[in-house]
Amino acid sequence: MSTAAIDVRGVRRRFGSRAVLDGLDLTVAPDEFVAMLGHSGSGKSTLLRALAGLDPDVEGSLRIRPRRSVVFQQPRLLPWKRVLANVTFGLGGPRPRERALAALAEVGLTGHARAWPVTLSGGEAQRVALARALVREPDVLLLDEPFGALDALTRLRMHVLLRDLCARHRPAVLFVTHDVDEALLLADRVVVLRDGRISLDRTVELPAPRRRTDTAFAALRTALLRELGVPEEIVEVTA
Amino acid sequence: MTVVLPTSAPPAAEPALHELARAPRRRGRVLRVPRWLRALSGPALLIALWWLASATGVLNPQLFPPPAAVAATAARLAADGELQTHVGASVWRVLQGTAYGVLGGGAVAVLAGLSRVGADVIDSTMQVAKAVPNFALTPLLIMWMGIDEGPKVLLIALGVGIAIYINTYSAIRGVDAQLVEAATTLGVGRAAMVLHVILPGALPGFLVGLRLALSSAWLSLIFAETINTTEGIGFLMARAQTLLQFDLSVLVLLLYAVIGLLSYALVRFLERRLLGWRRGFEGA
Repeated sequence: MSTAAIDVRGVRRRFGSRAVLDGLDLTVAPDEFVAMLGHSGSGKSTLLRALAGLDPDVEGSLRIRPRRSVVFQQPRLLPWKRVLANVTFGLGGPRPRERALAALAEVGLTGHARAWPVTLSGGEAQRVALARALVREPDVLLLDEPFGALDALTRLRMHVLLRDLCARHRPAVLFVTHDVDEALLLADRVVVLRDGRISLDRTVELPAPRRRTDTAFAALRTALLRELGVPEEIVEVTA
Repeated sequence: MTVVLPTSAPPAAEPALHELARAPRRRGRVLRVPRWLRALSGPALLIALWWLASATGVLNPQLFPPPAAVAATAARLAADGELQTHVGASVWRVLQGTAYGVLGGGAVAVLAGLSRVGADVIDSTMQVAKAVPNFALTPLLIMWMGIDEGPKVLLIALGVGIAIYINTYSAIRGVDAQLVEAATTLGVGRAAMVLHVILPGALPGFLVGLRLALSSAWLSLIFAETINTTEGIGFLMARAQTLLQFDLSVLVLLLYAVIGLLSYALVRFLERRLLGWRRGFEGA
């Protein structure tokens, strides 16, 4: 009997002869926010896709609460549906329209309910994708570099928005990113994926509000960058 | 051998800056004329040239009658209702053939597009069918179906169906897999996936197919109406040829041109209505 929201044991995924995931274990508690760091090609997205139910060829045990939502790096909105219809698409339960409007209000896009996705900026489209994920009231929120395609200023706002939304809805979050600062600003726990398994698993105990300038923040960042194999002279520059 | 290098390069003139911003162009009368009217200016110019060539005797009026003579023929045929009968018969054939072709080609494309087995069985067959010019089927169709409307409509439907199939099938296969994945994570069922993701995603390709299908339909009609007809534009053409009525021949050409233009306008209208989302068009 486990109380975890995500429970992954001995997961393996091969592409040809290369094992991208090689006996990976990971547990995420309900309402825990876990950031997963790793190089591109380290298997972060592979694991996330498997947890999203998009990879039938993964081996091992992957257990996850069934109410889960995914936000990808690209918003992936249906261009032929207006914003509101994108949020309500596939949404069951009573009064889907009202709930979708409430979700759009939460991401500050009430005024765009009737807009076509093509007219939205990158940040707005990604906020719609967030609303589409949250309106389903997921137990687990899977985020695959959701802010990776946004500019730096928009990303800062999205961090605040995501933190507030998660504080309100309390889903378990698995947040895949390659941005160490982003991980340290948002997550309760940071794990590093390396050679197909979790090579580092660290609870982030930083005083709120978190600041990049804190010594503890900088120390943790240095440790994570080293674990990610960033050369020492570069680690020193960023410290 | 010694090479003498210049000790210092001659001072290069600094390139002058180039002004990119210009005074805003006067958006004059050209843009205020409605677009459809501007689109018609080309054909109008052709008619004007034709008139000019006839008036100055460059065109032999016996072999290529002037616009006025053709207009008079059109008016005469319209007055006794003959023009309407023939155009109506042709349009009706094209409409029927197009309807059957769109339904058949579309249904087969959806079958092949949605299942791997369907694709294996159907797609190669359709590619073979595409390679056979369907006009080559005319004699067979006549032997099987007689000389009534059947083979005429079927000939049109075959051409339309293949054009629709080819474009719709490749459009279905080209639907963004990322959107399908996203919809999967939203817990969307198979029917909703087809209805809300795959078919709308394939719609632009389908409309390209429809445009080609309509040109093919009018082309097929010309062949179809060589099969024993007493009604239709093709019949008018045959009569003009037999009786050496040059004015009627030219009129038939004009009819095909006008009808082609209208078909094109119809598809453009559908595209604007159905694909408004592509440019954020707010719709009507």
